[in-house]
Amino acid sequence: MTAKTVHKNLGLSEMSWRSSLGVTKTVLIARFKIVLRYKGAIVFDMILPVILAALPILLGVAIAGQAAAQNFEDATGTENYKLYMLIGASTFIVVTLMLWLVGYWIRREMETGTLESVYASPAKRVEVLSGVTLYALIRSLMAFAFAMVVGSFIFQVDLFQGEMALALAFVVIGIIPLWGISFAFGALILKVKEADSLIQVMQWVVAFFMGIFFPITVFPPFLRYVALSFPPTWMTNGVRASLLDVAYFFGTWYLDLAVLLAFAAVLPLVGYTVFLRTERRIKKNEGVGQF
Amino acid sequence: MTMSEPIIAIENISKTFTSKERGKGRKRKKKVEALKDVSLEIFDGEVFGLLGPNGAGKTTLIKCLTTLLLPTSGTAWINGFNLQKEENKVRASIGCMLMGERGLYWKLTGRENLDYFGALYYIPKNVRRERIDYLVDLLELSDFVDRTVETYSSGQKMILAFAKSLINDAPILFLDEPTVTMDVHAARNLRSIVRNLNKEGHTIIYTTHLMAEADELCDRVAIIDRGEIIALGPPSELKSSIPQESVVDVEGVIPESARNRIVEIPGIRTAVVKDETNGKTMLGIICDNSRRVLPKIIDVLVEEDAIIEYISPQEVTLEDVFIAKTGRSLSIDTREIVTPKDAGK
Repeated sequence: MTAKTVHKNLGLSEMSWRSSLGVTKTVLIARFKIVLRYKGAIVFDMILPVILAALPILLGVAIAGQAAAQNFEDATGTENYKLYMLIGASTFIVVTLMLWLVGYWIRREMETGTLESVYASPAKRVEVLSGVTLYALIRSLMAFAFAMVVGSFIFQVDLFQGEMALALAFVVIGIIPLWGISFAFGALILKVKEADSLIQVMQWVVAFFMGIFFPITVFPPFLRYVALSFPPTWMTNGVRASLLDVAYFFGTWYLDLAVLLAFAAVLPLVGYTVFLRTERRIKKNEGVGQF
Repeated sequence: MTMSEPIIAIENISKTFTSKERGKGRKRKKKVEALKDVSLEIFDGEVFGLLGPNGAGKTTLIKCLTTLLLPTSGTAWINGFNLQKEENKVRASIGCMLMGERGLYWKLTGRENLDYFGALYYIPKNVRRERIDYLVDLLELSDFVDRTVETYSSGQKMILAFAKSLINDAPILFLDEPTVTMDVHAARNLRSIVRNLNKEGHTIIYTTHLMAEADELCDRVAIIDRGEIIALGPPSELKSSIPQESVVDVEGVIPESARNRIVEIPGIRTAVVKDETNGKTMLGIICDNSRRVLPKIIDVLVEEDAIIEYISPQEVTLEDVFIAKTGRSLSIDTREIVTPKDAGK
């Protein structure tokens, strides 16, 4: 292609892998600076799973009394219903925070006009989105770890049982597909320009299908397949099966982990592609600044 | 100014928006042509003004050139890079101030905002630090740059947004209404900095509603209306296209009947309401020879019981150029239009 204009320098821009990493790092740090200037925001994330787990635990005790553990074991394979609920609520907070934080980031940036400023810069989407999702990841893992530790004290359960390392592997690998889902979710927010109701609905649909308080085996077959197509379901069950006497979906840890790995390999690419395509479609019409 | 080579070449850019029209329970898709086949060259080292009323297509054109919107058809070359095929290099070639005081993180300090956007422009950390210090001195930001933006006044946010557009020291600067909400001193300061940046070799694309500002700053201007460029050239050249002494401004309480009669006076081309506040009207009259028609205008105003507060033949401004070309006011495009054709209807 022939340049039809004079060519001068690129100002102070120096494109390199180091400056690309610099974008991700700067976005990540800025996100934390901003959230830390809202008092209490991070603490509330950490407390939420404990409260969420407390509801069914107390309900179980109130309804079934001393028989609660036995009844629960009949349905799930473990009598440790408290840890079962705590794992469910804590993994749920990881999933929901990933969606909330990425979704709200896009929405808020649209409203404040900073999204257009970001889009006018040469930084690549993947670099900026990596910074945002990394922030969401760290914040959700902090909430997960805090809730598990505090919850274990409150509900008097022992975290250090079963295969701890394997449970962590399920959490870490399970988060990678969430990256892709959050990109796709971000694309949806970019398109519909609304976050609140979408996130409200999504988080309860997610909570329902990933079985935060019950095993998905109680679902009728169709709903079970829907739940199994959702990576957080595998993550939650993997953590539970590693720590408690709950069965893996495929009977062994490595097959379940392989499924999660397959999700991890495919979904980030799919999510990112969906994001770029949506963005292009929007730029063909009203642009990202319209809200 | 000596004309050099173009640094921006726009070729037949058109932009059509699809919007939904809602009414009486039915939604209909409506196509709006915001830009119609716009072609233009902006030369390296010039201050180029883009003028036009709201909705004329200025912002759409700038958003296309800054890669925020994809043109429906046509293309452009910016700093040697193709708009659609080398988007990132185009972005690295430009600094933008497009949304006034929006586009800043309110929970970050001014310095943190500059550092953030500096990183997004791939500026190495040590260079970034030096550049921020330089901009703090240049734009006199030191009193507030380390406070969070939420505590800033509108003018301070505007000047920070201007600093943000300079962070990458790009060869091309897009400034969209940069002095809106600034006080007189800050606006004068900004114009002086723009002039210095231009002397250093930066090409500046400047949009403004303030005609005097465009007149003072710009080497050339394009007047855009309804998605088309209707006039292009140096301000002096455009103004000389209207014969001297052909503009009369009248201010006061002017009845509609007086306006209708004025446009019927031989030698009057058009009369446009430039402003209307608190019952007072500012009427801009374009005519062949203002000195000759002035007594007739006064006669009509007296006969129609108008209260005249001010009446004077004016020097031709860029707004008069727009009025002469379109028969409408540049600053307020929805204002009443009175032309000989409409008079008496």
